[in-house]
Amino acid sequence: MGVAMLPALSRAAGVAAPFALAVVIGAIVLAATGHEPLGVYGLMASEAFGGERRIAATLTAATPLLLTGLAAAVAFRSGIFNVGAEGCFYLGGMVAAVLGFALGDWPSVLLIPVALVGAAIVGGLWLVGPGVLRARLGVDEVVTTLMLNFIAVDLTSWLVNGPLLARGSANSATAPIAVGAELPRLLPPTTLHLGFVISLALVALYGLWSRFTVAGFRSRIVGLNARFSRAVGIHVSSTFLRMMVLSGLIGGLAGGIHALGLVHRFVAGFSPGYGFTGIAIALLGRNSALGIILAAIVFGALSSAGATMQLFSDVPIEIVEIMQGAVMIFAVAKFGFGQARGARA
Amino acid sequence: MIDPFIQAALLMTTPILLAAIGGLVNRIGGLVNIGLESMMLAGALVAVEVSAATGSVIAALAAAALIGGLIGLSMSLVVTRLQANEIIVGLGFSVAVAGLVRFVLKSAYGVSGTFNPPGVAMLPRINIPFVSDIPVLGAILSGQDGLTWFAWAMVPATAFLLHRTRAGLRLRATGAAEATVRAVGLSPLSIRDASTVFAGAMAGLAGAHLSIGVVGLFNEGITGGRGFIALAAFYFGRSAPWRTALGALLFGLFDAAQIRLQGHGAPAELVQMLPYLIVIIVLTGLGLADRSRVSERALS
Amino acid sequence: MMDRARVAIRLGARKVTRRFGPVVANDQIDLAVAPGTIHAIVGGNGAGKSTLMRILQGVDQPDEGSVILDDAPVRLTGPADAFARGIGMVHQEFMLAPNLTLLENLILAREPVGRGGLIDWRVAQAEADRLAALAGVALDWRVKVADAPVHQRQILEILRLLYRGADVLILDEPTAVLAPAQVTELIALMRRLKAEGRTILFISHKLDEVMSVADVITVIRVGRVVATTTPAQTDKAQLAQLMVGEAVAMAKVAPYSRPPGAPLFSARGLVARDGRGLKRLGPIDLDIFAGEIVGIAGVAGNGQDELVASAAGLGAIAEGAISFGGRDFTRAPASRFRAAGISYLSADRSEEGLCLTASISDNFIAGREQESPFSRGGFLRLKMINAGAENALAKLSVRYGRLTDAVRSLSGGNQQRVAIARELERGPRLLVAAQPTRGVDIVGIAFIHEQIAAFRDRGGAVLLVSEELEEILTLSDRIVGLYGGQVTGQLLRSEASVEKVGRLMLGQKAA
Repeated sequence: MGVAMLPALSRAAGVAAPFALAVVIGAIVLAATGHEPLGVYGLMASEAFGGERRIAATLTAATPLLLTGLAAAVAFRSGIFNVGAEGCFYLGGMVAAVLGFALGDWPSVLLIPVALVGAAIVGGLWLVGPGVLRARLGVDEVVTTLMLNFIAVDLTSWLVNGPLLARGSANSATAPIAVGAELPRLLPPTTLHLGFVISLALVALYGLWSRFTVAGFRSRIVGLNARFSRAVGIHVSSTFLRMMVLSGLIGGLAGGIHALGLVHRFVAGFSPGYGFTGIAIALLGRNSALGIILAAIVFGALSSAGATMQLFSDVPIEIVEIMQGAVMIFAVAKFGFGQARGARA
Repeated sequence: MIDPFIQAALLMTTPILLAAIGGLVNRIGGLVNIGLESMMLAGALVAVEVSAATGSVIAALAAAALIGGLIGLSMSLVVTRLQANEIIVGLGFSVAVAGLVRFVLKSAYGVSGTFNPPGVAMLPRINIPFVSDIPVLGAILSGQDGLTWFAWAMVPATAFLLHRTRAGLRLRATGAAEATVRAVGLSPLSIRDASTVFAGAMAGLAGAHLSIGVVGLFNEGITGGRGFIALAAFYFGRSAPWRTALGALLFGLFDAAQIRLQGHGAPAELVQMLPYLIVIIVLTGLGLADRSRVSERALS
Repeated sequence: MMDRARVAIRLGARKVTRRFGPVVANDQIDLAVAPGTIHAIVGGNGAGKSTLMRILQGVDQPDEGSVILDDAPVRLTGPADAFARGIGMVHQEFMLAPNLTLLENLILAREPVGRGGLIDWRVAQAEADRLAALAGVALDWRVKVADAPVHQRQILEILRLLYRGADVLILDEPTAVLAPAQVTELIALMRRLKAEGRTILFISHKLDEVMSVADVITVIRVGRVVATTTPAQTDKAQLAQLMVGEAVAMAKVAPYSRPPGAPLFSARGLVARDGRGLKRLGPIDLDIFAGEIVGIAGVAGNGQDELVASAAGLGAIAEGAISFGGRDFTRAPASRFRAAGISYLSADRSEEGLCLTASISDNFIAGREQESPFSRGGFLRLKMINAGAENALAKLSVRYGRLTDAVRSLSGGNQQRVAIARELERGPRLLVAAQPTRGVDIVGIAFIHEQIAAFRDRGGAVLLVSEELEEILTLSDRIVGLYGGQVTGQLLRSEASVEKVGRLMLGQKAA
C-alpha cells in the first residue's frame, strides 16, 4: 500500500510544486514592495471564486485557455513540441471576426458554425508547413512554430490596420461582428458565454478520444516511443503531421470562440499570450483532460482576480503575470521527486 | 536622404546585434535563449533608473549588464540544474519579467507604461571630424554611440575568442558534445551557465541602448520583440559571428524601413515579419541540404 | 612508469560481483592485467563485459570484491579518479566533439596556453605531431571530427589518452566499427604502444584479432570468468566454444525435409548499410520457406543487424530485392511488411521491442489497435483488448500484476513474453526473431524456444538471429553462416555440429 501510494504522491508533488514556488515568488515580490502577501492572496481568492459573478468571470477567463491548453496537449502527447498555438489563435480570431460581419445576414445557426469552422481550418492550415518540415525533413518544429507566431501577429496586425480596418472606427480593429454571430451569454449580465461549454466539451471529448480511440492510442504510443511505433507498423511521420494540424485546428478554434464569444471583433493585440499560457497548462495538466481543465481554471482565476483586484487595492495587476510566468518556468523543472523511477525493476 | 536612413538602420541594428551575439555564444554553449527579450527589457529599465540616479552612463551600462546577467544566470540554472525545457523556461521568463517590470513601474514609481525620470544621461554620440562630412561613409562611421562601436567590435572579437582561447574551445565543445566535455573532466553545465550569463549581459546592454541610447526614457514596449529578432539573427547566422552580424544588420534595415514606412501608410507590419519568415526559409533550406547529404551518402 | 613495471598487476579485479535485481551481471570476476601487456577479454553480448568495464572505470561500484591497481585494492570514485591513476578508456561511442578539429579535440581540457591567455597552437601542433609519430600514423589535424573517417577518430581517441597521460588503455570493441585494413592498422598501433611500455585491456568478440594481438585472454560467459589462457595454449574453435558454451544434446530433432513450394521470403543480391552508411551486408541471397526455422550463425557485427532490419522492413535496402509471398517488398514501408504478415522480435527490447513506459495491454495491442476485435469504427474496445491480452499472456504464462502496469515493472523474461505474445498472436506468416532470449533466464529460454518451434510446426517461417550458438543449434532447421556480411555456407540441422557451425561463424567454408 505504501509503495502504491508513492508514485501518486510524487506526481501530486510534481504538479503542486510549480504553483507553490509561484506563490512564494509572488509573496516575495509583494513583500518587497510593501504589500501584505497573505492579504493580497486572500483578496485574489475571493475575487476569483467569491460568488456567482466572480466564478463566472473566472470561467470566462479560463475559456480560451482550455482550448490553447488542449492545442498544446494534443501536440505534446505525440512528441511534437508545437509552440505555435498563439499564432493560430490570432488567425482564427481574425477569420471568425471577418466571417462574423461579412456574413452578418446569415442565421445564427449557420453563421456561428461556419465562422468557427473557418477559424479552425485556418489554424490547421497554418501549421501544415511546420508539420511537413518536421515529418519530412526533420526540421525542429519549436523554432518554426515560434517564428510563425510572430508572423501571424504581424500579418493580422497589418490586416486590421489596412485592408480590414473598420471604417471610421478606432485604429487597429475590424468592424464588430453581427449580433447573430455572437455566442449566447450563459449567465447575463456576466460575460460567460457558450464558448466555455464548447471548450469544456472539447476537452472532455479529447479525454475520451485519447483513451478510447485508435487515433488517440497511436498518437500516445508515437509520443512515448517513436522507434517502437515504427517497428509495430504505426506510421510515425504521418502521425506527427496529423497531430500538428489537429493542434492548429484547435488553436484556430480557440481564437474564433474568443472573437465570437467575448471580443466580438478582432483587434490588434487580440491575445495577451493565451497560446503560451496554454503550453504551461498542458505541461502542468500532464496532457490529461482533467489536468487541463484544472490548470485552465487556476490560470483563469489568476487573471480574473488580477483584473478586478486593482479596483480594490493598490496591488498592480502584474503580480498575476509574474506568477503565471513563474508557474511556466517551474512547470518543466524536475525537482527530484520520484527520481527512483526508471531504475531497474 | 540616404544618410539619415543609414544612420537609423545602424542605430536599430545595435540592440539586435548585441543581443544576437549573446544568443549566439549561448547557443554555441548549448542553450537556445528564448529569454533574451526579458533580459533586454530589464536592462532597459535599469539603465534609465541608474542613469537618472547617478548621471553616469558607465554606471547605467554596468547595471544593465549586471541585471541581464543575473536574469540569465537564474534562467540558466533552472535549465541546467533542474533540467527544465529551455524553450518553456525562456517563454516563462519573458512573461514573468514583463510582469515584474510593469509591477515595479507601478509600485515603485507610480507610473504605468512609460517611465521618464528627469536627468537621464544619454549615451554620447561620437562625432568624427571631417569624416562626418563625407556622404555615406560619414553616416556609417560618425555620430554613432559607444555601444554601437562595441557591438561591431564584438563581432570579430567573438570569432577570435571562440577559436583562440581555452574558454572558446571549451564552449564550442560543450554545445556540441556535452558528454565529451564531461569525459575529459570539465563541467559542461557550468560552462553553459557562464555562456547564459554572458548572453544576459549582452541583452542587458542591448536594452540599455534602446533606453539611454535612442529614446532617453523607458517604455514597457520598448523592446518590441527585438529579443526574438535577435534569436532570428543568430539562427540566420547559424552560429557564425559574421553571418549573425549580417542578419542583425539586415533586420536593423527592416526595422529602420518599417519606421519610415509607418509615416507613409505602407505595410510596416509586413516588413516587420520578414526576419521571422527568413528564419523559416533558412531552416527549410538547411533541412533540404541535410536530406540530400544523407541520401548522397546512402548512394555512395 | 619505472615502478609500475615491477608490479604484477597493473589493473585487475578480485572477486568482483555486481547484481542488478535478480540478474548477476558479474559473478566473482578475477582479472589480472600485467603491465606492458595486451590483455583481451572476450565474451558474447550480455556476458557482463560492459559492467566490468564500468567498474574498472569507477563509473559503477562492485557489490562485492574490489578493483586492483598496482597490486593493491582500491575504490575508484569515478572516471576522473581512474584517469588520475593512469587508466583511460576508449568507448564504443566515441567521446569526441564533432564540430571541433582533430587537434582541438586532442587538447580539449589540457590546452597549452601561451602569451595573453591564448591557446598556443604551435605547441599543440608539435605535441600532436610527436604523438602521431610515436603511434606511426598520419592524421590531418585540421579536419573536423565530423568529416574524419571512423578509424581516424578512433586513433584520435587513443592519442588523446596518451596526450593526457594515461598508461593503461581500455579499448571497448575497438574493431567493431573498422574495415579489415583498418583493423590491421589498429593492431599495429596496439603493438607499438605495448612495445613502448603501455598496458592495453582489449575487449572484443572477434577471435582472429584476439588470437593475433593478445598476450593473455580472459573469456567471460554469463558474468563468470570461464577461462584465462594465452594464444599459445588455445585456438579459435576452443575460444568460440568457451564463449557460447557447450551445446547440450538435443532432446528431439524433428526430421527435416524442405517444405514444398516456393519460398515465402526471399532476398536476392541484398545489400544493406548501417546507420553510418557503411556497407555491412551483402550481396546475399536468402530463402525462407513456410514451416522452417532458418538460423543465422555469426559473431556480432557481421551483418546480422542489417539483415534483420531489411527483413522487418525497418532498414533502407541499398541494392537487391526482397520479396514476400511472391510480391516485391524492396521499397515497402514497415507497415506493409506487418500487414503482409511479418512479425518482428527486436534484439533491442527496451527501445524497440517494447514501449517500457506504456502499459502491458498497450504493448500487447500496439500495431494491432485497428484490427478486429480490438476496435470497431475507430473506437478501441477495451474489454476485448483486455480479454485478448489476458488470454494471450496466460498462454505464455506471463507473470504480471495488472494489465495497466507499465511493462517496465516486469522482469526481463516476462517483458520478452509480452513482446512474443504481441508478435505471435497476430497470426504472422514469418517471424523475424533477433536475439529472442537475450537477458532471459534458463526457464524462460526453454519456454521461448518452445513457442518459436510451435509456431514453425503450425506452418510459420522463422528467421532466427542469435549470438548463442546453442540457441541456433537447438532451434534451426537450416543454419546459414554469416561472416563479414557474406553467407559463408549452409548446414541442415542433421549435419550441423558445434565445430562445423563454428567454422561458418569464423568465415571458413563448411567444407
